[in-house]
Amino acid sequence: MRFVLRRLAFYLVAFLVAATFNFLIPRLMPGNPADIMLAQSQGTIPPEAREALMATFGFINEPLHLQYLKYLASIFTWDFGLSVKYYPTPVIDLLTRALPWTLFLTGTATLLAYALGTLFGIRAAWQRGGRFDSVISPMALALQSVPAVVIALTALFVFAVSLNWLPTGYAYDPSLEPSLDGTFLSSTLKHALMPVLSLGLVLVGGYLVTMRNNMIGQLGEDYVHLAEAKGLSDARVRYNYAARNALLPSITAFAISLGSVFGGSLITEVVFNYPGLGNLLYQGVIARDFPLIQGQLLIMTLAMLAANFAVDLAYVALDPRLRRA
Amino acid sequence: MLDLLKIFIRNRKAAAGLLIVVFYVVVALAAPLITSHDPNKRVSRPHQPPSIEYSMGTTRMGRDVYTQLVWGTRTSLMVGILAGFIVTLIGTVVGLTAAYYGGATDETLNFATNVVLVLPQLPLLLVLAAFLGQVGPLAIAVIIGLTSWAWGARVTRAQAMTLKNREFIQASELIGEPVWRMILVEMLPNLLSIICFNFIGSVIFTIITQATLEFLGLGDPLSVSWGTMLYNANNASAITVGAWWEMAAPCAAIVLIGIGLSLLNFGVDEISNPRLRTLGAIGKAMKLQKRLDRERLMEKEA
Repeated sequence: MRFVLRRLAFYLVAFLVAATFNFLIPRLMPGNPADIMLAQSQGTIPPEAREALMATFGFINEPLHLQYLKYLASIFTWDFGLSVKYYPTPVIDLLTRALPWTLFLTGTATLLAYALGTLFGIRAAWQRGGRFDSVISPMALALQSVPAVVIALTALFVFAVSLNWLPTGYAYDPSLEPSLDGTFLSSTLKHALMPVLSLGLVLVGGYLVTMRNNMIGQLGEDYVHLAEAKGLSDARVRYNYAARNALLPSITAFAISLGSVFGGSLITEVVFNYPGLGNLLYQGVIARDFPLIQGQLLIMTLAMLAANFAVDLAYVALDPRLRRA
Repeated sequence: MLDLLKIFIRNRKAAAGLLIVVFYVVVALAAPLITSHDPNKRVSRPHQPPSIEYSMGTTRMGRDVYTQLVWGTRTSLMVGILAGFIVTLIGTVVGLTAAYYGGATDETLNFATNVVLVLPQLPLLLVLAAFLGQVGPLAIAVIIGLTSWAWGARVTRAQAMTLKNREFIQASELIGEPVWRMILVEMLPNLLSIICFNFIGSVIFTIITQATLEFLGLGDPLSVSWGTMLYNANNASAITVGAWWEMAAPCAAIVLIGIGLSLLNFGVDEISNPRLRTLGAIGKAMKLQKRLDRERLMEKEA
């Protein structure tokens, strides 16, 4: 319990640090968002609106610490202001609309990649130097260094443009109304297939290589030899002895990889025009929609912290030492 | 030095990786010699497929893909190496300082490292680049360098912690060696493989991230790099109009250097961690054992 509480306190502080960065970045950068927007609007925004714009971004004529307090208050009341690109939709509405798609995409792809990578890693380590290992491990190694952009673009080119098997973008057929009937669900599934698989492909190599290396480390330990000497079945030694212990460091590596999960998801969403958080951030960045960008960054940080916390809980479940402490 | 090179060449992965990386470096250095004109010059009609004259075809703007690719290699390698250098420097200093001084210093630095690790990095980079406006390759290298050191710091710290309790460090402490000597002469050489691993990993990460940021349109569109090539190709809908070469060339370049660098990295890993190294030997031993078994079986049957 103490472990969990300590982690929660850490995440709270980390969130505050992120929020502070979010507050400082626009204030430290050359120029300010309002002027950039005025310059880009090429006269469509009247210059009189500058004051109002400044106020929307929290650039009020007040001392910095008061601005900061107001900003913090606005975060904890979920008030991120109005989007500029999708004026006058509140940023929070845009975010809540996009969040489920990103959670669906990253969740499915990560689980799939982690499960496959771990299983293959166990197998490759068990017969290292064997046929399976010498095919799958170099492949994982190569895959690990292929950027998400390349995988997504290749998938798009092959399956959507050349073969015309799958749709090129969006989360479901735009002519359908969101509901729970069969046609809508199958359309969602068809649209999700390519983004999920290409994001999964980006991630699977790393998980495989980590698990294989951990597993090789465990296989040299005395307790594994003892289990073998006792005459336990291969499967029992492999999964209940070695793999269970190899899993712990692999979960740490998983937690660290969460950053690249969100990064990879951003790219995948942009390439497949998937209506998730990453794509929304991209649209916001292109349109220099600063309220949207700032709210977006906070939500992504929150998602990332929540995912890290879930990993912590998994750690507690797997490592009895943490439960006692 | 020569011994090290020998070890590298004997390791198949490391040798293959080294070969690829050297090839890229040579291309980058020889760019003015192996191309005949400015990479941004219009040389032909738009979207010409690969031919004898233009071995990789031309872009939507009628620029030669091959020339752009060669000059892009220069940019990408430079950005990768610069950012890799920054990342490794910060990571090593933070990690070593935290491990050596311990106590409150360690707590603070470790906390900072962990905070940076849980922040979503690519979105943060995207936002920074957006606020800075369209940024050139050098600025991208610096931003990536300043935001990506956390992983290296964590790994270096962990390794340095285990060193700190070894006898030779304690002995040098008792002799009364100055702190700088303790860190630079006693500890640093034992961390070389981790530092090397960190550097190569950061170069891969930077090359990929730079290409990604530029693909998203956050780079300076006038600079010539693999990322801006992807951006221009995407803007020209190269994929949908069937001009695959415009997209494929930078993609292949990024993938190959990525593979080369990670092969090199795995070589370093295997050289410094003997448990991982014996893979080939074990495979050979297993094959030999199987052949022997088969021969024995045949003898028995005969």
